[in-house]
Amino acid sequence: MRRKDWTRVVILIVALAGGLVVVSVLFYAVLAAFKSPGESFGSGSSWFPEEWQWGNLIKPFEIAPFGTYFLNSTFVGITVTILNLITCTAAGYSFSKFRYRGRQAAFVVVLATLMVPLEVLYVPLYKLVFDLGWVNSFAGLIVPAATSAFGIFLMKQSIDSVPDELLEAARLDGAGELRTLVSIVVPGVVGPMSALALFIFMTNWDSHLWPLLVASSDQYRTLPVGLAAMQANNLGDTGVPIILMAALLAVLPTVLLFLTLQRRFVDGIAMTAGLK
Amino acid sequence: MSSPSVTTRSSGSSSRGAASRARRSLTGFLFAVPALALFLVFAIYPGVQVFGLSLFDYSLTSPPVFVGFDNFVFLSTDPRFGEALAQTAFYAVGTYVPALALALVLAQALSTRIRGMGLARLFYFLPLAMSWVAVSIIWRVVLHPDGLLNQVLGLDVNWLTSSDSAKWALVIMSIWKETGFFLILFLAGLASIPPDVYEAARIDGAGAWRRFWYMTFPLLRPVTAVCAIMAILRGMQSFSPQAVLTDGAFGTEVVNLFVYKTAFESARMGRASAVAVLMFVLLLGLALVQLRALRRKD
Amino acid sequence: MTTQRTLAALATASLAVAALAGCSPSGNDGDVTISFWTHTHPPMIEVYETLIDEYEKANPGVTVDYQTIPNNEFNTKMLTSLSNGSGPDIINMDDSALRGDYIPKGLLAPVDPAALGESSVDDVQARYVEGTLEGATGDDGQLYGLPSEFNGTALAINVAHFADAGLDPEVPLETWDDLVAAGQKLAAAGHTQAFSFLYLHSGWYSQQYQTLLHQTGGSIADGDTGTLDSPESVEALQWWADLSGGDKSVGDPNKTSREATVPFQDLATGFQSMGIVYPWAMDQIAETNPETYANLKVVPLPQVDASNPSSRVYAYYWAVNKASKQQEASWKFVQFLSEHSEDFLTGTDFVQPLVGWEQSAAAQDIPFIETWGAAYATGKFDQVTPHYAEVQDAIAEMVNDAVFDGVAVEESAKNASDTVTRILQG
Repeated sequence: MRRKDWTRVVILIVALAGGLVVVSVLFYAVLAAFKSPGESFGSGSSWFPEEWQWGNLIKPFEIAPFGTYFLNSTFVGITVTILNLITCTAAGYSFSKFRYRGRQAAFVVVLATLMVPLEVLYVPLYKLVFDLGWVNSFAGLIVPAATSAFGIFLMKQSIDSVPDELLEAARLDGAGELRTLVSIVVPGVVGPMSALALFIFMTNWDSHLWPLLVASSDQYRTLPVGLAAMQANNLGDTGVPIILMAALLAVLPTVLLFLTLQRRFVDGIAMTAGLK
Repeated sequence: MSSPSVTTRSSGSSSRGAASRARRSLTGFLFAVPALALFLVFAIYPGVQVFGLSLFDYSLTSPPVFVGFDNFVFLSTDPRFGEALAQTAFYAVGTYVPALALALVLAQALSTRIRGMGLARLFYFLPLAMSWVAVSIIWRVVLHPDGLLNQVLGLDVNWLTSSDSAKWALVIMSIWKETGFFLILFLAGLASIPPDVYEAARIDGAGAWRRFWYMTFPLLRPVTAVCAIMAILRGMQSFSPQAVLTDGAFGTEVVNLFVYKTAFESARMGRASAVAVLMFVLLLGLALVQLRALRRKD
Repeated sequence: MTTQRTLAALATASLAVAALAGCSPSGNDGDVTISFWTHTHPPMIEVYETLIDEYEKANPGVTVDYQTIPNNEFNTKMLTSLSNGSGPDIINMDDSALRGDYIPKGLLAPVDPAALGESSVDDVQARYVEGTLEGATGDDGQLYGLPSEFNGTALAINVAHFADAGLDPEVPLETWDDLVAAGQKLAAAGHTQAFSFLYLHSGWYSQQYQTLLHQTGGSIADGDTGTLDSPESVEALQWWADLSGGDKSVGDPNKTSREATVPFQDLATGFQSMGIVYPWAMDQIAETNPETYANLKVVPLPQVDASNPSSRVYAYYWAVNKASKQQEASWKFVQFLSEHSEDFLTGTDFVQPLVGWEQSAAAQDIPFIETWGAAYATGKFDQVTPHYAEVQDAIAEMVNDAVFDGVAVEESAKNASDTVTRILQG
């Protein structure tokens, strides 16, 4: 019916317009990142740079160990993701397909930690990591984050839907538990696993507070901490465009990841609410 | 009672079956050990320690000194802590109520099946793929008196240098960032409602608003509940935006930032732990209230 | 049995050898690595890197592990890493932190005259202009560091702007009222941002506030009670507020750049006509905006009471971590650094107040050296209290209240004073 079509087009236009408003902030930032330092504010400054300072793209790398920050975030992010996949899948398998004393209690305890955010723990956690000698090391950044209650919950839910008969069949064929996990269970939950991987990676990329405490030297700094430091530091000849450029470069990987793997990522988030 | 020489599908009552069951249980348990060990060391242990630490005065560079409940007494009359609590509540409510409402409304519109909606959705999702620190740095420029926000609104507000407006600036930025996340959840929620439900309502002649209020919204209750819990957690944990935009100045110091400064800048880890204990109790209380509300509605 | 005894003997012997090999005195044989942390200031970093290169070449076997920490986290990082013997061997800290935290907490080692090449601490002290080592001296009278930079406070004026306003840059601005008068003429000539304070992290707030406080004779605390609401302290805040809003206003604080990456940006880009500066600030402006730098003149700081001039001095010192395992090697490196004061002067305008420094060739090259010399003469160190980081936050909030939120000066001062009392008694 014509009226319904019109309504839908109007909805689309309004939705697109709203979306453009949201994106306009990024558009503004990208343009501002290519300005020369003096142009940023003041009356009469337009959105567009007078002259595109293409050199701004590499400036963040010149004024600070920006490349190191990137590498560190990548290294820590990938390692934490892999460790999470291993520990959460194994634990999810354990809680889902096995029976042993204390299993229920352990699962409840794991779920309970979901309610206790890092913010409550980080003072004594810092002291612990400090006593272990892990301040200013990758161990301090990686090991405390190597597993997550959310991941375990997600994997348990997902593994629940792997049919028991498949596992029985594998056992009868003489497969050990590990083999069963790797060749039967994992292929069955690749979807949730990849969503989890994406989610963990993105969350870790964003992590600010813990790395701020643990990684004080430039050698171990991750991107958020490095960015915040760059912004607050007397770096000489920089100014607004360069810091903006640094921030934009810092979000590029996760934005690209999101754009290419949007479906997986959306699924992952939906799974956090138990909606998939 | 002959013990079959051929193993059957069902677990046998033979002793061999029991032994292998026990072995299976053990192996199963072992699979969970890495994760459990990590939790024990890096979550449970510090979790218990927080309570202990809160009874001490500990500056990290000198040995801890037992002070009993002094930290709690101090906090109970500390204007700075009170303001941090108020600020956190303001931020959480001011950001997440509009964000959830917006996400709900947008989800309705964006779930319309029409070409181009995917692109529109993408626009709204982008902010959630960006880290808080980067977003804050970008918004510092947007919030400059000569920046984008004032230009668009036609105002001349000193967003980040006034106690009247700084907290609103944070809220505006956070709504921009967080709506997309909840939009995903509501979209997923809407997608899980079978279309025949709508058909039935439409056939009955129900208008769009009635359809939404009496049909859709009740069906979305579980999603909304999860969103609400997540929103509260995210709101209370806020740190990066305040740290980067204003460093807590102009009335924007939230509890998390207060804990950080108390522990690491003022070197009072005992008092910071006391705050953490209070926050834990508060969060627990909120979670229980929410769960009760959720269960009662069912 | 005999084999066992032989083995045991061998084991003990090898253990003994290993132990002896392990205990080589540092600096003499074996490789030594000294860690050295400073804050972040690009021209200074360059000077250090050059000097470290030189030192390592002249002393093979010694490696200096140099790290720069972001300025807004510097205090935090230092404090948290100094516990339990971790943290750098050599620290480069400002006098407030040294006197407020590190010395009282016993985190530093007293200077080692032998490693510095002198026979007594008195001889070490005799190298420096009197009074300049106060910033690293504990209440026990012990000296804990040597100065790496010693800063006085002055005013920079843009003579091109002055010409526009018909002002004569040679006429001194003796009082803040003189500055206000000049500011009003500058505004009339189109330079509306005639003067502004800087509003970066709380350290900047407290150092500018203490500058005014020295001039009015106010104080932050008396014992464990805050005195920010005393008449003299309120007077200091009143000046700050007056200069930023109201009839005496000479600039809009909301328009002041808050980009910590370039602290003196407004002055350097010619947006602001006058500003409070330190020697290293002039050097930085010279590097980032040479055209504006050519128009800047350094003049004495305006005073509240012209007959009783006072300027603020602050200093950074090289100090050695008490828990350091190579203290001697560290002091030796400090000694080396202190012998290169001219490199610091030329590279970054850092003054190291060795006796006779003004006569050195490098010093003669510093523009306005007489002004800086005079500023040092009337300079005073900051007042420091325990928990100084929290006190600085209270001062910053006080200024924000009065300047940006329009809270009455007395009320802002009273609130801050109460906060300081809570901090000191809490």
